[in-house]
Amino acid sequence: MPLEVWQEQLRRGSLDLAILLTVASGPRYGLAIIQHLEAFTDLVVSEGTIYPILGRLTREGLLDAEWVEGEAPHPRKYYRLTRSGAKRLAHMKEEWRAFAGKIARLMDASERPE
Amino acid sequence: MQLSETGESRVQGYLFVLERSLNTFLPRDVVRDAVREIESHLRERVLAATAAPNEREAVERILAELGPPLRVAQAYSAERTIEEAVATGRLVPIVRAVGHLASTTVIGFFAALGLLVGYLTAFAFVAIAVLKPIFPANVGIRYVGGFPVALGAQFPLPPGEHMGGGYAIIPFALACGLGIFVGTHRGARAFLSWWRNRTVS
Repeated sequence: MPLEVWQEQLRRGSLDLAILLTVASGPRYGLAIIQHLEAFTDLVVSEGTIYPILGRLTREGLLDAEWVEGEAPHPRKYYRLTRSGAKRLAHMKEEWRAFAGKIARLMDASERPE
Repeated sequence: MQLSETGESRVQGYLFVLERSLNTFLPRDVVRDAVREIESHLRERVLAATAAPNEREAVERILAELGPPLRVAQAYSAERTIEEAVATGRLVPIVRAVGHLASTTVIGFFAALGLLVGYLTAFAFVAIAVLKPIFPANVGIRYVGGFPVALGAQFPLPPGEHMGGGYAIIPFALACGLGIFVGTHRGARAFLSWWRNRTVS
């Protein structure tokens, strides 16, 4: 498998977690989520493709979406974490830490001489 | 940045193409909401942008960062239609997802063509198994001049030809039909899964 494909799979696999983490501190609208992700990661390749993922997470009941008018010249759609989203996020964080820890240990072991 | 009439029509053009693309596979209310959200994104970006070096370049940059409308539509397709097809594995969502890809992409068209051939072949084998007990003399292995030339049904059977294979053709055709159906179905699911992984973000 070429390195780019592996990197793409890694990026895609972590995007749901990154989005849930972004709204964990409070509700954000689409562009604010994208800007937050861009500030901390390089997970966003094409801005327009984040919205369908937000839609899926909303359909899965992990996020709640609400249109807010009057805050800007145009309406904004805010996303907030639901209770079930918070639970899922806690599990995902736990899984991620455990997984990253195992890989880190494996990398350390591979660098030690036999 | 305040948009001029030209800039505004460029944005409206983008939203029009996006809406048309989404309309082919999403319910109307979902399309309306998706287009409204993308428009909100564009307005937000335009508001924060400076018209330097000129408005046209600024608008094009914003639209490029968002991605071409067909790509955005494909991402929606991957998240909804294709997601449902891959997750459930049911025939109708799979046919709908492949149909959508066939109408929007070249790879999708050829994949749909291949899958159509697979499903039709499976159907033909099952039809042979079903028709054999009803028309025993017209369904089976067709012999012309004593040589087997085809497997299927012939109405009416021309003089000098006969159908062979007997009733053993029924389990054979059923096994082939079901085997090809399962193979095609798995192929369709694998293709959609590959496509989803290729297009999502």
